[in-house]
Amino acid sequence: MKALAKPVGILGGGAFGTTLAQLAARAGHRALLWLRNPEALSRMAARRENERYLPGHRLDDAVELTTDLGDVAERCLFVLVAIPSREVRAVARSLGEVVRGDHVLVSATKGLERGTYLRMTEILRQETCCLKIGALSGPNLALEIMRGVPGATVVASRYDEVVRLAVAALRTPAFRVYASRDVLGVELGGAVKNVIAIAGGITRGLGFGDNTLALLISRGLSEMTRLGAHMGADVRTFSGLAGVGDLVVTAFSELSRNHRVGQRLAEGLPLQSILDELGQVAEGVPTAQVVKDWAQETGLDLPICRGVHAILHEGAAPREVLGELMSLHARWEVDNRPLG
Amino acid sequence: MRQEDRERAVVEVVSRVVDEVRQGATEQGAPSLEDVLADTLFHERQRLEKAPRDRVAREERRFYRELRRRLLKASTTEQVDLLRQATERFAREVVGRFDPRVYAFTTRVLPVGAGLMMNAISPLSLLSQLPDLPNLRQRVLLRGAMDTLRSLAGRGTVILTPTHQSNMDSIILGYGLYLLGLPPFTYGAGLNLFTNPLLSFFMHNLGAYKVDRRKNADLYKRVLKEYATVSMEYGYHNLFFPGGTRSRSGAVERRLKLGLLGCGLRAYIHNLRRKVPRPEVFIVPCTLSYGLVLEAKTLIDDHLQEAGKSRYIIEDDEFSRPRQILQFTRELISLDARIVMHISEPLDVFGNHVLPDGTSVDSRGRPLQASRYVLTDDGPGFETQRDAEYTREAGQAVTRRLHRDATFLSTHLLAFAVFGLLRSQALDRDLFRFLRTADELGGVSLDDVHPALERLLEGLRRRSEEGLLGEEAVPFARDPQAVVAEGLRYFGTYHEPPVLERRGDRLFVGDAKLLYYYRNRLSGYALDPFVDPKLKESA
Repeated sequence: MKALAKPVGILGGGAFGTTLAQLAARAGHRALLWLRNPEALSRMAARRENERYLPGHRLDDAVELTTDLGDVAERCLFVLVAIPSREVRAVARSLGEVVRGDHVLVSATKGLERGTYLRMTEILRQETCCLKIGALSGPNLALEIMRGVPGATVVASRYDEVVRLAVAALRTPAFRVYASRDVLGVELGGAVKNVIAIAGGITRGLGFGDNTLALLISRGLSEMTRLGAHMGADVRTFSGLAGVGDLVVTAFSELSRNHRVGQRLAEGLPLQSILDELGQVAEGVPTAQVVKDWAQETGLDLPICRGVHAILHEGAAPREVLGELMSLHARWEVDNRPLG
Repeated sequence: MRQEDRERAVVEVVSRVVDEVRQGATEQGAPSLEDVLADTLFHERQRLEKAPRDRVAREERRFYRELRRRLLKASTTEQVDLLRQATERFAREVVGRFDPRVYAFTTRVLPVGAGLMMNAISPLSLLSQLPDLPNLRQRVLLRGAMDTLRSLAGRGTVILTPTHQSNMDSIILGYGLYLLGLPPFTYGAGLNLFTNPLLSFFMHNLGAYKVDRRKNADLYKRVLKEYATVSMEYGYHNLFFPGGTRSRSGAVERRLKLGLLGCGLRAYIHNLRRKVPRPEVFIVPCTLSYGLVLEAKTLIDDHLQEAGKSRYIIEDDEFSRPRQILQFTRELISLDARIVMHISEPLDVFGNHVLPDGTSVDSRGRPLQASRYVLTDDGPGFETQRDAEYTREAGQAVTRRLHRDATFLSTHLLAFAVFGLLRSQALDRDLFRFLRTADELGGVSLDDVHPALERLLEGLRRRSEEGLLGEEAVPFARDPQAVVAEGLRYFGTYHEPPVLERRGDRLFVGDAKLLYYYRNRLSGYALDPFVDPKLKESA
């Protein structure tokens, strides 16, 4: 594998940012990981591991740490952005001060901006001069990637150069990187599946079985696909890694933060204390609000997303919401028309 | 193009196109030299079958007969030679013929009156018919980033990308540029405009080069694009209508043809590679707004027949009928009509905003170095896929500018309000049935029209606050009564029967299709619900 001439830049020292830096190093490249917090950097530099999110996983020697965005812009051409969605705009604005037109940016953040409903690539476009922008998404549990178990992701961009660079930067013998042109579909899939994952956690927490979870995943996927089609995404994206792939792993896996939020909600804990306990961002929580607003504006019928929103933000009881979903009017499965 | 540049442009175009074809011929999946020649032969012979039997066509037939004969047994070297000949033939045809003497004459005559179009046939006879021609300066209202355009024209090459409603556009634009003190812009005009007796004079001499839309050979299209590219590199400002053709529906263009924008990017990269002192290419969108459109009837009929594609070249519209133009012009004059030409803020070839000093800035207003976008391992360079995307981004930015800077006159506002009020009474009918039967609805009361216009004006103000429209989107009549009075005055002239007519306190539709045409100027801004909440965005 030929190393890239310049280091791969990664913004965000959370679980996924650290994992991407490690992946780039495993792919034979130097990686420059940017963290906002100097203390977190000192800790990570001293122990060569991300103690908080990925304890026990030693960082490759090719991973270098920095708190200077200018340093990243100066030394890297390819930059992955793995920051919680609510912080992306602020970081992107600072990034906009230092990047140039030849930089390539790829968002690895799954989520939508509250209030504007913008996708992360749209924010990067607004806040920087960069045009060569893409999105990365898929069934990518950080811990599993760190363990080196086989997995894959998809990178979408309208620019061939972006996907080629992403493949070169992240592909390893244990990690495949697929290419896509459907940026909208990949980002929507990555964002909306978090809402369905919360519902998955709720069904687990309520003690329901695999049938229920499979029902939820299938109909959740149907909601994601309908929303995507309405917004102009390629519906085939939702049967790929960024759609059903990501949905299955998030809805089934207890490693998923959104799944854990759902489980705790079903146990009767209040949302805020769950989020405090989690200590990390569960993107499905703000995304549920965005999806609910979208559904309202467009007239789309998305009952699972609506139900999750009611539980998260309107105090509805999980069991009652599940009951309501089960008693909805019968429909044709494929096109969701009501059965006359 | 100046005489001294014409020959070197032909040489440059031919050598680039031939090199491009030869280089492509070695790539997998790309057409071979023979393929390109065969395609040219096929399309040209097909075109010539329908061509009139005049001297030009006879000569062309001879050329292609000979080309075919030689191609059958040509070696690769001979194929290159044949390709060069065919390319040069196209290139020589395309290159414009600008004559500064004629330009000076034309621009001197134009200010005499809005009868400018007729000057080409018989200026004297026209002037004798219309002795009190008001000054055209009072007719064309120039607005927007005029100083910026002037400034950029001295700092690089400008591509003006206007909306396209009428064949009058070329003339108004030419005149507007003259008023701004700018030299004529090079532009590709359809061959039909050259054959139109009224326009050929201007076309030949206002910087136009010929685009024959009946020529479908891939080689011809390559020559056109390369010629535009080379002319930009030589510093000739270009003008092209990004919509490709006159808006059939009356709406501001949404889907753009990106080919010539792509030439701007190519010219920029060529300039960077050759390290020319002023490599920049600026895109300046521009909107033209007319209270009445000469060809409105033909255009909307064409739109409704969904025959836009098959009738891409309309040769038998109102513009080919001198008497109709004369009538139209007289009536415009009697109406004291104004044509608004709005120059938008400029863009670079990547769609970034450009300051008057030529600096590109990002959406936060921070200066950026545009040349960085085209950096490759070997310095500035071409990458087909990347460059197509850059051009798409620039096209989107142009569309946003055109929509933001559209101007709406009384006819558009009145048509939008009346159409909306009528449409809301007949939502169960599809558009076509509605247009056929709109006159049966009994018209609308002025008591309804005035408040609907008030709400529409409020909607326009809101869109302006949201940044979707400029502050001067409605430059003239700003109160409903004035809009109705002026709109009816316009609609009562030229179009026969009148588009709208007042009888008592009601307005009746005389021509629903034309009403639809004029209302469409305001489509795409989600304004329908302001007229009637029952209406969705598209009628």
